[in-house]
Amino acid sequence: MEKEHKHKKVFVQGPISPDFVSKSIASHQSKTTIGAHAIFLGQIRADQKTDGVVTGIDYSAYEEMAEKAFYEIREAAFEKFELTCMHIYHSLGIVPTGEISLFVFVSSPHRRAAFEASEYIVEEIKANVPIFGKELLGEGGNYVWKENK
Amino acid sequence: MSIQVSYYGMLAEITGQANEVWVADQNLTVGDFRNQIIERYPAMREKKFKIAVDQKISQDYVSIDNASEIALLPPFAGG
Repeated sequence: MEKEHKHKKVFVQGPISPDFVSKSIASHQSKTTIGAHAIFLGQIRADQKTDGVVTGIDYSAYEEMAEKAFYEIREAAFEKFELTCMHIYHSLGIVPTGEISLFVFVSSPHRRAAFEASEYIVEEIKANVPIFGKELLGEGGNYVWKENK
Repeated sequence: MSIQVSYYGMLAEITGQANEVWVADQNLTVGDFRNQIIERYPAMREKKFKIAVDQKISQDYVSIDNASEIALLPPFAGG
């Protein structure tokens, strides 16, 4: 069966809607070798910072390098885990608190590969994809730059 | 030689621009370039950043003589 190793567009402008997530799930109903999906959703937290509460994150990226990094993560995940397909979406621009900025969706015949691949992919994205985020604070236009731990 | 240099995130705020053309001598390494950057923008000394040469994060010993694009990347924040 042909695997979806092709170059795919990862970045979406603004938040990722729950409707988009549910449509993505629905579009896999015809792929009947799949027995397990794992979905990871990253949501914006209202952290309390020194200068105010986070109201959203404004994401930017070195897009050409980021697309390349996403491609390498996809290839490595297909190599390491028994996956039927994989989708990654990440926001650019402003994502308000409580909304979704990262959607990782992996599908496999069995659960173990799906669980492990989703964790692997999320960790790789956080460590190796040149995405930058401004945490917007309060209503006054203040912000701090986010840094992954 | 001249190289296209891009600054991302907080680094673009320090330099006041998203990109510029860097004129440098031959035999330049990433480490030499880092020193030149800090000389031109002293506030960079306080910041953590990585240097990508043609979209690949590169160590200080790497030569950038044939590079077409250099990017300065602050800590990543994806997810």
